[in-house]
Amino acid sequence: MRYRVEHTTTFTYAKPVELASHMVHLLPRELPHQQVIESELIADPAAGRRTDATDHFGNRVSWLFLDVAHPRFDVTLRAEIEVQFPPAPDPDDTLPWEAIATARDGGPGQWQAAEFVFQSPMVAADPEVAAYVAQSFPTGRKILVGIIDLLARIRCDFRFQSGVTTIATPVGKVLAQKAGVCQDFSHLMISGLRSLGIPARYVSGYIRTRPPPGQIRRRGADQSHAWVGVWLGPEDGWVDVDPTNNIVVRDEHVVLGWGRDYGDLSPVRGVILGGGKHTLAVSVDLLEV
Amino acid sequence: MTDRQNTTPDIDEAVDGQGRLRPHWGHILGTFSNLRNGGLTEQATRLNAAFDNEGVNGILQSAARQSWRCDPLPLPIVASEFNALTEGLAQRAELLEAILRDIYGPQSLLADGHLPPALVYPNDSFLRACHMDRKLHPSHRYMDFYAADLIRGQDGAWRVIADRTASAAGIAYALENRQVLSRVIPEVFRGTQMRGLRPFFDVWQGALQRMVNDRATIGRFQQAQMQSQQQSFFAGLVAPPQAGPGIALLTPGTSSRHWFEHMMLARELSCALVESGDLTVRGGGVFLKTLKGLQRVDVLLNRKDPRLLDPLELDTGARGVPGIMDAMRNAAIHISNHPGAGMVEAPALAAWLPALSMRFLGERLKVPSADTVWLGDEPSRNLVLDDLASWRFRPATDRRPPARDPNRLSATDRRALLAEIEQNPWRFAATRAMSPSVAPCVGTDGLEPRPVVLRLYMVFDGATWHAMDGGLARVVESGNKAGGNRVSKDVWVLNDEGHDVFGILPQLTTPVAIRRTTGDLPSRVADNLFWLGRYVERLEGSARLVRATMTRVSRGAVLPHEMVELAALSRALVEAGLIPADAVAVAGGGAALTAALLGSVRDSGSIAGPIARLADSVARLTDLVRDRLTGDMYGAFTSSLRQIRRNARAVGGSSEALSLVMVDILRFSASVAGLAAENMVRGGGWLFLELGRRMERAQSICTQIGYTLEQSPAQLEPALRLVLELCDSLITYRTRYLTVLQAGPVLDLVLADDGNPRGLAFQLVSIGNLLDQIAGPGDRPLSGVAATLADDVQAMVARVAAAPDQAIAASLLPDTLHSLAESIAALSDRVTRHYFALLPVTQTLGTGEETAPLQGAA
Repeated sequence: MRYRVEHTTTFTYAKPVELASHMVHLLPRELPHQQVIESELIADPAAGRRTDATDHFGNRVSWLFLDVAHPRFDVTLRAEIEVQFPPAPDPDDTLPWEAIATARDGGPGQWQAAEFVFQSPMVAADPEVAAYVAQSFPTGRKILVGIIDLLARIRCDFRFQSGVTTIATPVGKVLAQKAGVCQDFSHLMISGLRSLGIPARYVSGYIRTRPPPGQIRRRGADQSHAWVGVWLGPEDGWVDVDPTNNIVVRDEHVVLGWGRDYGDLSPVRGVILGGGKHTLAVSVDLLEV
Repeated sequence: MTDRQNTTPDIDEAVDGQGRLRPHWGHILGTFSNLRNGGLTEQATRLNAAFDNEGVNGILQSAARQSWRCDPLPLPIVASEFNALTEGLAQRAELLEAILRDIYGPQSLLADGHLPPALVYPNDSFLRACHMDRKLHPSHRYMDFYAADLIRGQDGAWRVIADRTASAAGIAYALENRQVLSRVIPEVFRGTQMRGLRPFFDVWQGALQRMVNDRATIGRFQQAQMQSQQQSFFAGLVAPPQAGPGIALLTPGTSSRHWFEHMMLARELSCALVESGDLTVRGGGVFLKTLKGLQRVDVLLNRKDPRLLDPLELDTGARGVPGIMDAMRNAAIHISNHPGAGMVEAPALAAWLPALSMRFLGERLKVPSADTVWLGDEPSRNLVLDDLASWRFRPATDRRPPARDPNRLSATDRRALLAEIEQNPWRFAATRAMSPSVAPCVGTDGLEPRPVVLRLYMVFDGATWHAMDGGLARVVESGNKAGGNRVSKDVWVLNDEGHDVFGILPQLTTPVAIRRTTGDLPSRVADNLFWLGRYVERLEGSARLVRATMTRVSRGAVLPHEMVELAALSRALVEAGLIPADAVAVAGGGAALTAALLGSVRDSGSIAGPIARLADSVARLTDLVRDRLTGDMYGAFTSSLRQIRRNARAVGGSSEALSLVMVDILRFSASVAGLAAENMVRGGGWLFLELGRRMERAQSICTQIGYTLEQSPAQLEPALRLVLELCDSLITYRTRYLTVLQAGPVLDLVLADDGNPRGLAFQLVSIGNLLDQIAGPGDRPLSGVAATLADDVQAMVARVAAAPDQAIAASLLPDTLHSLAESIAALSDRVTRHYFALLPVTQTLGTGEETAPLQGAA
């Protein structure tokens, strides 16, 4: 499946900003099953200095430094991407989850996955969340069987509702109120899996949406999205699953990058001097080509 | 519960197993026991006093802050033993450097299973932002500086109990110990051949200079490797010509426990002492904001928690320098030590060092660690749990929390510890308990053997590691007392017979260009000096007012002219905020006025009087600019301020004691003026201190004369006398005009005579000159304002002198004087805006609660 994406983030400031530094995780990464045909990052006003690099996780990261006074800042990603993830392994053929839970010990084959077993700044361990997730993993159950069961439970038990959480809402609270948005469900699932010793990571990107029947597509109405990567062992590697939509990722998702949690790849993070109050507007368009 | 599990005696540094004094201690103990001046206990008291005077302990000692104490008896180490130790530490430092290179690069240690992920990934000091996606230049270093804590066990061998790679405190204290000791008890240094500490700082300074040069080389190398093109470095940025290499020491600020050390280090290493707010990143480079514009910083000696360096990439919300990590990755700045270096301080790492030493260096560790295991390893865990009492427990990757000793834990806490280990064994390191060697210390009843921990310091000069020929020995407190004084010992490295005392050091630094200006004064420092000047003057002005009032109140004001003076003084006191307005509402209320004045110096409880608060502001600002004052100046400031505080506390209800406090304040202010005049170079800091003082005095002359002259012309004479008194010009007036009091001559002396340092004209002329010097040639808009004001004053006084009735003319002046005071305040505001760092607030985007959460698609 081939997509064209346009994602614009706009900051509008009450007073001009004199100096701004932004760290941007917007350029999609190249993957065996995701080909980035073209991608560009456009800043307005243009950055006085820009640095592009690969971060610790292999994601593409850009730093934009502005030193002219500006009342507003736009940063836009335009990209064309071809995605076709291979089908997930047969759940019954995957390893028992306890075999995955040795990843923390590291060593050849699993040292990189081990990074995603430990708590991270925005995904703390929580006993309630651990207990909730553990219900899907009775002794000896195959890892992917457990994951699919968990996806269905989250879909059933939680209500998708924006405005009841922020990016800083702890997973325990999300569990208590049984409501939230994609990053809350992702953080919750990651927290619970890590408590079992299963490596889980936060994936940031986009998902194709279809307008409700009988309505026309509105421009910019798409959204950034987040889901979960789960490690199934050295053989099967990482498989992405989407707890918000109760699906295994195939060809409706476009990956920007991954990290331990949202904090490792917030799309636009910045420090500004001056500016007074600011407002933020985000618009995303994902079109099938 | 017992402290020690065995009965083997501890090693005594001074005495061998047979109870004989070790040879290298013999001479030292001999010298100390022959001391005059009341013996060792007396020497210890003198040392303590010296440290207080030196200001190591700050002026505003809070209960939480511990005092620095140095035991008079040093810890001597013979050169052969010391050399073996530092050779071992150099090897360790290279090993840690190799580990860092691997962890922030290919991570082969993890891939091959030589280190468990649990030591790296959950380690708070493993900074992912330090990941390098480019090849490292061979000269790239993670560590230029290293320190280790060592104790000597019962087998007589020294072992490392902690590696310090992020930053290690104590080095300036070691230097301070040596300096104070040699000043207070110089006798003990005679006849002992010991190595000096100074050469180490020369090597370090040379090393920093070298880092400046290496930075440029590495920078070009990095640029050439960049994958994507970049806008040119420093495009469009006009930086003033650099007078010297940009080396700065970054301190968290005066609130830091170690600020004294940072200040001393900056002095010893001749580098600028800066805080995050003084630095800015422009065009990919890091700059220091100074009065003369931006100055490039090439090397940053970091003494701040590395995780707080850059709010853009590391801990958000920290007051760091946004963009400094980007500058560092591109080698536009070298940060020493590298911000990621702290991760090898992880206590559990010691368990792997012997194997890693073989792997990286092909050598055995020359100085071993204290016996350490990681509990994530099952056999080790079982070993430890079987013999719990012999082990001390620490987080595997965090060196900061103190070790937990199961023998000292309550039964509940012990169970909790075991449960934590059971649940997450990989989070723990255990170190076998060791009792440190003891050394004689001066106690209340003669010498007492006390356990000591030794800290040694190393610096890398680009080719090899050099040790400081000395160190810091800390005396371990018995029991886990919180607070209390931290006692240390000077460490003497004794030369073996026949050795040279000092080696000749290679001269590594390039000759420094001669400079006569101090344009690189950080704006923040100028700001603080300006306000210090203002507050000292304000304190003095307050004391003069209070004193003049007290004299009249105690005499009992009865005559009409005395009532006039008191009324004028009361208004001035109210206006200056020294007494509440209602204190003077009572007619002839001498008692109410006295009570209000007594209240002005009160500093007990929650209500501090205005003068007490002023004195506190002066003390706080003195601490803030301490690095700009000579030791003598700082010492004089602190001892006078302490005396003022002490006497103010003792005032109680005594107006006599209050007058004495005012005398203390006036003496303090005079000594500040004298010290500044005699000890500060005319430029930079002095200009701002002086400017603040002159601004404040000019403003207060206008205000006070304004209130005093608000009289009917018939009552002007007492007012004129008061004017002369407040401006400390009575004697001059009498010598000029004998006893005739007339408005023209009085106002000429206090307002228009630019030769009278207590007069207004003198202040305005000085302000103009100071502003000229600060601005430099060509740019003098502010000094022009001062000149205009001076002209206005001359014209004003000339009008009074020429008037048919001078008294009437003078009584019309108050409005003019008040508006003059406002003009001076406006000029002061312009100076503040023009020169000081009035920067808007920094905000973080994209991480806080305000950020719209992702919606996702349901």
